Amino acid sequence: MRRRVWIVALAAPVVVAALLLGSDSRGLAASAAQAQASSAEVKIDNFSFGPTTLTVAPGTTVTWTNRDDIPHTVVSDDKVFKSKVLDTDEKFSYTFTKPGTYGYFCSIHPKMTGKVVVQ
Amino acid sequence: MIGVAKAFDPGTVLLAKHAQHVVLVHFPIALFLTGVAFDWVARWTNRKALAEAAYYNLLLAAASTLPVVVTGVLAWQFQLEGERLKGILLLHLVMGWASTVLICAVWWVHFRVRRRGTATPGYLRIVECVAVVAVALTGHLGGFLSGVSGG
Repeated sequence: MRRRVWIVALAAPVVVAALLLGSDSRGLAASAAQAQASSAEVKIDNFSFGPTTLTVAPGTTVTWTNRDDIPHTVVSDDKVFKSKVLDTDEKFSYTFTKPGTYGYFCSIHPKMTGKVVVQ
Repeated sequence: MIGVAKAFDPGTVLLAKHAQHVVLVHFPIALFLTGVAFDWVARWTNRKALAEAAYYNLLLAAASTLPVVVTGVLAWQFQLEGERLKGILLLHLVMGWASTVLICAVWWVHFRVRRRGTATPGYLRIVECVAVVAVALTGHLGGFLSGVSGG
């Protein structure tokens, strides 16, 4: 009887520790997946935004990176967001919290347009 | 057909924002380069008619720099909200101002020579050469920015 108590006393913390560790790693994996899902990238290259239309979930942070030799800007049609002039390799980020369709363009080259769909 | 109709719509033309700068900038460039070319040929061949043509080309070139400068500054203020410029944009602005000053200076020297009836000063050829290089460089940077050249 006394031996059984000892076994239980030693095994219990091991089991609890294993359970905690398992749930924690699952939580880490979940939060990593969430972080991955909550960011997206748009590349500016050769006078165009790529992808032209980007669909993301609310709360996603979209980062535009200028891979062109020419300066560009990122300005939303309804002035929700507006970047400074982005030189080569400079970035601009904006977090989309509300669902909707956000059209944007480059104010230096207005024919360059793109769209972010938040749903 | 819609595009053609829109191109002749006064609202589209007047409110084209910085597109006007891109269009107007061709006038001083063409007039100045032609004026300098006529001036050099006039001096080389000693033909007065060519010298006259050169003068009026330079006069119109100097006059046409005004709307170009105004639309350029307006584009900067409206499109970029007067943001502090850097890189190619800053270089284009500086070279644009230098070109404007040089174009007007070349015309001014020609104007004074005509009014006083004196010989053309020797330094004018150097100033004209520097101005041609400045105009070409400014135009190249402008073309690069707009995506016409080098993009």
